[in-house]
Amino acid sequence: MRLSENDEVGAGNWGRRGRPLTRLVHEVTALCLGEETAYREGRLTVSAPEAAAIVAAPALAEVRVSCASPGEPVRIVKLLDAVEPRTKGRGGAGIFPGILSPRRPTRGPETHVLRGAAVVAAGFLPRAQEAVVDMSGPAAPLSPLGATHNVVVEFTPAPGADWEDVDTALRQGIIALAARLAEAALEAPADAVETLPGVGEQADDGLPRVGVLTNLQTQGKFKQPFVYGRSFTDSFTTLIDPNDLDDGAVVSGQFGHPGLKNSTLLYQNHPIVEAMRRRHGSELRFAGVVLSPEPVDQAAKEFMSAHAARVCALAGWDAAVVTKEGGGNADADMSLAMDALEEMGVPAVGLFAEMAGRDGTGPSIVVPPMRATAMVSTGNYDERLVLPAVERALGAERIDLVDQAATDEIEIPMAAVYCSLSPLGWGRSTCREAA
Amino acid sequence: MRIVHYINQFFAGVGGEDAAGTPPSRTDGAVGPGRRLATLLGDDHEVVATVSCGDDHATSAAGAIDEIVSLIRAEQPDLVVAGPAFTSGRYGLACARVAAALVAEGVPAVAAMHDENPGVEEAGAAVVVRSGAVAREMGPSIDRLAAAVARLLAGETVGEADGRIGKVPRRNVLVEKPAAERAVDLVLARLGGDRSATEVPLPRFDPVTPAAPVDDLSKTMVALVTEGALVPDENPDRLESARATKWLRYRIQDRDSLPAGEFRSVHGGFSTVWANEDPHRIVPLDVARELEREGLIGGLHDEYLVTVGNGTSVADARRFGVEWAADLRRSGARAAILTAT
Repeated sequence: MRLSENDEVGAGNWGRRGRPLTRLVHEVTALCLGEETAYREGRLTVSAPEAAAIVAAPALAEVRVSCASPGEPVRIVKLLDAVEPRTKGRGGAGIFPGILSPRRPTRGPETHVLRGAAVVAAGFLPRAQEAVVDMSGPAAPLSPLGATHNVVVEFTPAPGADWEDVDTALRQGIIALAARLAEAALEAPADAVETLPGVGEQADDGLPRVGVLTNLQTQGKFKQPFVYGRSFTDSFTTLIDPNDLDDGAVVSGQFGHPGLKNSTLLYQNHPIVEAMRRRHGSELRFAGVVLSPEPVDQAAKEFMSAHAARVCALAGWDAAVVTKEGGGNADADMSLAMDALEEMGVPAVGLFAEMAGRDGTGPSIVVPPMRATAMVSTGNYDERLVLPAVERALGAERIDLVDQAATDEIEIPMAAVYCSLSPLGWGRSTCREAA
Repeated sequence: MRIVHYINQFFAGVGGEDAAGTPPSRTDGAVGPGRRLATLLGDDHEVVATVSCGDDHATSAAGAIDEIVSLIRAEQPDLVVAGPAFTSGRYGLACARVAAALVAEGVPAVAAMHDENPGVEEAGAAVVVRSGAVAREMGPSIDRLAAAVARLLAGETVGEADGRIGKVPRRNVLVEKPAAERAVDLVLARLGGDRSATEVPLPRFDPVTPAAPVDDLSKTMVALVTEGALVPDENPDRLESARATKWLRYRIQDRDSLPAGEFRSVHGGFSTVWANEDPHRIVPLDVARELEREGLIGGLHDEYLVTVGNGTSVADARRFGVEWAADLRRSGARAAILTAT
């Protein structure tokens, strides 16, 4: 928690450019519980009592910590959120501003990343729709957590605890734990050093300025992300330094639509941001990230989408990728923003999940754009898949969705597999016509 | 391979409209149009049985499709062919529903009909092959159908070039590039001037040509129709509150009003408090009777037609529209007021 207000490390003068950031990447290739929390040559060892003590809070009667690694016959159910372990120094040093560190734009030029690891919370919360991850079998490649070494936090709420307090305790707990685990690698040599450019540099290179408009679900308690630690519900569209996303400026508190969720781990590794960074300077000039809410009534949707499109245009973008979080309701915000962008002469591409029914013959998009035409499909929400039985389940003993033991063979829609239709573009799923 | 053919009472030689209520039956081997189909498919494949049913029975009797499907299933077919149904609406719907039910069970099925047959939209994930508009075009229609069937039996796909029409199911696949990279590719393509690139086909919007204005309203019988789910208080015919599969008709011949307490809305998509306080807010019979008395309209149709417009599939909504239009036309109504919620 400690962060000195006088700490000037890395607070260099970068003028009108965004803040440059270097990621010191430590690859995690093995995970186990042990005496002491440590990271050595790819192996992350977690002290379960220490981890449980970090997550412990008055709203939680009990916290249990276990491991789930790729390839194991393990299923995680009722999965709530996942966080990639990262820190900027001892005690976090500015990581996760507004939650673990004071609320202010993050500073410090370096962030340690435990790539290949995740801290995961699993269990019951109200309004949460059941999310499933299999660590092996056909569903494993559909979720980002199928390929990460997961430190799974299960919990029992304290008797009489308010559910909102349970939610807050879990969010703060897994974030503090994620920062603590990354701290174990502070002295370890990095496997990779990734330097991220600041955005906002003007360059007369003739490349198009392309940014990403990311809509955040804003439907109140248990269905809202946090930006610099504050709920984004009732917020306005804002530009944000993409490198602040790396440092945890956006944290999930949204537990609906498992397949269409944007977890904290994916905000930390925003796939569109990563894709644009890779093409920065060669095919495009990465122009930044705009965050915008998804209001619930039509008039507010129309206003906020038009406003978001204007923010992108005012920021000088030549083109935009638009993303959402949530189901058909959120299609409306995305389609309206795409249409508004196109109307201003800014080409827009949206990432949609198709909702084409079990047999894939229904209309794909609930609210398609009227003017914009370029859509990426992240797969059909309704198609069903069969997951084989597993030996061990974490998160809960039963899956209410199918009313079966969590270890059984189950048939579930794609929609229940955590992040399988990632609106941020993580996944490799799409739809093709079956001729 | 074993093939079962589904046809209606007319092509089975049972009879015309008078035999439309005939229940399902099965016959050994090919019958009627199935004979040419069998010839074209050659010796490697056999039409082992023909199942037929009257069009009225198939499309309106409860459980009829299940009965037909179980007769077909008993033959353990490798593939099922239905039609061609041309533009015959009920026959097309029967072919489509039989084929859709079989495909949902994992039995490959092909239906043949004209593009404008309402059955095209109801074939689920089954393959639909284009036929001519009328039975006179049976020859070329069967030729195209047989070619498509032969391709499917050989494990090949059937596409537009083979005469495939209707919906093609979209299936999940894993591709090499993540969606984020594909999105950036697409945005660069758009910047490069490509306006057509997309991974999701744009939805087809059906443009509706408005009917010509009514010549003389004072000589025209007007009907009241609604998707507002207004039904007699007991909801005797169990109209659904959402995802309607049917529409209903209620007599208003002897009525000047629809009193609160006798009628109510069972719509599940909005708060019905105000509708139920005064049902005329959904079906304006009171005002319509005044207009009738004043001679502004030539008359009011004896019944109002009703369904619920709440999460209704486009296919069902289109079918209701077709059926309402036909029904009103038969009854002499030449204009309708559709109240929507």
